Amino acid sequence: MSEPNTNAVNSKNALEAPRILIENFDAWYGDFHALQNVGARIAANQVTALIGPSGCGKSTLLKWMNRMNDLVPSARSGGTMRIGDLDILAPTTDVVALRRVVGMVFQKPNPFPKSIYDNVAFGPRLHFKISQADMDELVEWSLRKAALWDEVKDRLRKPALSLSGGQQQRLCIARTIAIGPEVLLMDEPCSALDPASTAKIEDLIYELRANYTIVIVTHNMQQASRCSDTTLFFLQGKVVESGPTQELFTRPKLKQTEDYVTGKYG
Amino acid sequence: MTEIPKALQEFKPNEASERTELQRRRDRWFRALCLAVGCSSIAILFLLLVSIAYQGSSSLNATFLSASHDPENPERAGMYPSIVGSVILCTLCAIISLPIGVAAAVYLEEFQPKNRWLLRLHGLVQLNIANLAGVPSVVYGLLGLTLFVYMFQLFGKLEQNQVSGIDFWGIQRYYQFVTADDLAVIFVPMDESKESTLRIESPRPAFDTNFNPIDLQIWDPATPQPTDPDVLSRTVRKGDVGALVEIYRWYYFRLPFGPSLLAAALTLSLVILPIIVIASQEALRAVPSSMREASAGMGATRWQTTQQVTLPAALPGVLTGAILAMGRAIGEAAPIFVVLGGNIAKRTGPEHLMDSCVTMPILIFAWADNPVEQYRQLAAAAIIVLVALLLVMNSVAIYLRGRS
Amino acid sequence: MNRGLPIPSALEQKRYRPTGSARRSERVVVALLMACALGTIALSVLIVLMLLRESWSFFSSPNVSLTQFLFGTRWTALEVRDLEKVEFGIWPLLSGTLRVTGIAMLIAWPMGLITAIYLSEFASNRVRKILKPSLEILAGIPTVVFGYFAVLLISPGLQWFSPSFDTFNATSAGIAVGILCLPLVCSLAEDALSAVPTSLREAVYSLGGTRMNTALNVVLPSALSGVISAMLLAFSRALGETMVVALAAGTLATFTLDPRQQSQTMTGFIVEMLKSDLEYGTVQYYSLFGVALALFVITFVMTLLGQLIRRRYREVYQ
Repeated sequence: MSEPNTNAVNSKNALEAPRILIENFDAWYGDFHALQNVGARIAANQVTALIGPSGCGKSTLLKWMNRMNDLVPSARSGGTMRIGDLDILAPTTDVVALRRVVGMVFQKPNPFPKSIYDNVAFGPRLHFKISQADMDELVEWSLRKAALWDEVKDRLRKPALSLSGGQQQRLCIARTIAIGPEVLLMDEPCSALDPASTAKIEDLIYELRANYTIVIVTHNMQQASRCSDTTLFFLQGKVVESGPTQELFTRPKLKQTEDYVTGKYG
Repeated sequence: MTEIPKALQEFKPNEASERTELQRRRDRWFRALCLAVGCSSIAILFLLLVSIAYQGSSSLNATFLSASHDPENPERAGMYPSIVGSVILCTLCAIISLPIGVAAAVYLEEFQPKNRWLLRLHGLVQLNIANLAGVPSVVYGLLGLTLFVYMFQLFGKLEQNQVSGIDFWGIQRYYQFVTADDLAVIFVPMDESKESTLRIESPRPAFDTNFNPIDLQIWDPATPQPTDPDVLSRTVRKGDVGALVEIYRWYYFRLPFGPSLLAAALTLSLVILPIIVIASQEALRAVPSSMREASAGMGATRWQTTQQVTLPAALPGVLTGAILAMGRAIGEAAPIFVVLGGNIAKRTGPEHLMDSCVTMPILIFAWADNPVEQYRQLAAAAIIVLVALLLVMNSVAIYLRGRS
Repeated sequence: MNRGLPIPSALEQKRYRPTGSARRSERVVVALLMACALGTIALSVLIVLMLLRESWSFFSSPNVSLTQFLFGTRWTALEVRDLEKVEFGIWPLLSGTLRVTGIAMLIAWPMGLITAIYLSEFASNRVRKILKPSLEILAGIPTVVFGYFAVLLISPGLQWFSPSFDTFNATSAGIAVGILCLPLVCSLAEDALSAVPTSLREAVYSLGGTRMNTALNVVLPSALSGVISAMLLAFSRALGETMVVALAAGTLATFTLDPRQQSQTMTGFIVEMLKSDLEYGTVQYYSLFGVALALFVITFVMTLLGQLIRRRYREVYQ
């Protein structure tokens, strides 16, 4: 991974070379057709927000991006979803390698019942054979990236469950970036947190996009408008409208989008 | 931003590293190991059942199910008394321990006190129940032996082969006489004298074989015999000696219990009590608290809520626990062995509460311990019956739980 | 809303049932329920009192000394009738129990745990739905069945393998007890493993971990106290197991480490003593209560430890 330039990438450029390309994508849970004919281009080094009412399929799309849906026996999919040259959906795709490239942060903070240090070092221990000094460096770097280092540097050996909810979520982000992914998927990362912790995570997301491609599912319109560059609006399993966040929020093309982003939906 | 650490700089995400490959190989081996061990542990348990079925099936026939133990001839031995004994014993256990167990569970789950000290007591009861479930059943057997069989010898020393103690109810003592025509038997109730025999000299109140009162006639053999067959059937010879017979009702009660059905049932009830409490507690805990809140919100007291809402909702779970506990009671051998001893000679099922009793596990134990090969085969046949009964009970229980 | 609708008479009159009677009967019911709950404490007290009282008749005898009981290595209560010459040293019985239990745990712990890992981490939902209940049904098989299994299958098998095994030996009893404890370990350990939240498993997968990484690095350590408690409960169950050892372990109290020899266990001795023609009231007879007391203390400590550890793990995810 090379340090990318920190200038905001212009979205037109990104549309030409999307990091993740989704075309004609369908998803089912058993007989339930959760996503229908979805197409999207997730731009590199941007924050893409997926918004829409509950049950519209946005989390399903997110979970297919690193094949977490493999854990759900009834889940099936069709269509194309590629990251670079890699076909995400192909049965032959090495999900371990895929998940190293596409990391995920979950709705509720889920640190392992281990120490803070061991939580961050968990992934690297699986994938790298490195010296203790390198590991220390990696852990510190990850925690600094997740804006948690200053709060925990004196108690790295304390259990991760002793942290507050917001700190736990940032720890989970540190844990994810410690194996060097390119894409970060975030499934409503702030829904279980208080406003102060939410603000910290949002700042973090805004900073992280310099190095990572971030896809975030959120129910919070302010959050989407504050920290995303592109927004996809979902309704009943379809992408209804998509575009630069600024545009979609101020001049939505569709009535439904306007109703939703202004809180009139339903 | 700080510099990127070395580990990440050397890392090429799209190439599967050697280490990942290693992890994957290990994963495959581990998965195979788990599968092999898991399958073999299930296979061993099934092998056990199949081998016993193979050994015992030849002896399993109608005679075997209807006869009783025969110490001389294994060909004619059967397990009928033990089936009856086990079923009656198990039913008694359920009657005794179910109400107490469920009540204790309801108290522990639904009536948690607010007072700090009571709460501590509550925790103690909880821990205590878990510990009771871990006490070896043979220790319960010893408790039953001293508490129920001998009752700490408060009622005099209990000797082997001799009934002693205090009778309360359910026993009638009669002297038995043969009628003058030698065709029937009549019974004369025991009087205050409590003699073990009675020489009959004068008319007394008496009963015929069906225990209907009759007008007893005394015939002096020196005089001519009455000719009317109706009179003759209620006449006894003067000077005849009647032997004592004891007739027990099913509710016959005495202290101490001695090695009896009731003592065994009480002991087994203690063994399964903690199991019932724990299972009922789990069933009650599974009832969503929103149900309780809804009931309380309409002004129901806690007991009303429990009675009308929580208990009915938890009933399938409670029943499951009860059936599993009864399965344990039917299969338990050690406490019964301690309380009743290993005697399997009885020809019938228990006929009253103080009667001795043979159960299936005791019979299996005695037969498996017998050096004669044929008896061991009988043990296998008896195991088939016992395990079949248990499998049915447990399957019902697990089905019930799956439905709730 | 229909304004013309008349109010039902029940609501108009509002003749509520007085709350006093409900509250009074509530108090009675609670007292009854509490009595049942406290009855379980009484049961424990009774067990302890019974053991102390009856074993006092043993320990207070001039022919018995506590030091000999605790440290002696010969136990001849059944063989020697002359009270002056009987030796009451618990170690042969205790070592017999430990030999059988040790062999049993050598089987039940690893096999039960690995089966539990298979069930909770690898088995598909359908397989789990069949295997878990069948394990529970198998857990209900009476112990006397395993005794029969030990005498008629395992012992001859061992003797065929090596003639140095006695007809009755610690190994065959231990194997049978181990198989008996297997479903218990498996079921309890599986409960503990399944209680680990799915979110942790998802976290490992999202970091690119394999199933083995999930099972061994996260799920097992998280459920460790539950797993240990399952192992302890199985251990205590094996210590108190009676019918298998009464059938298969033999009647000779030996103080040895050799698993091929006869080895009477504590529970085996209790059964053997009850089978013998020694009268209730002799010191030899009361010695069985001394043995029972020792057995009770050991299993009690094990179960208590298991429960305390289990309580700790329950608190982690609630």
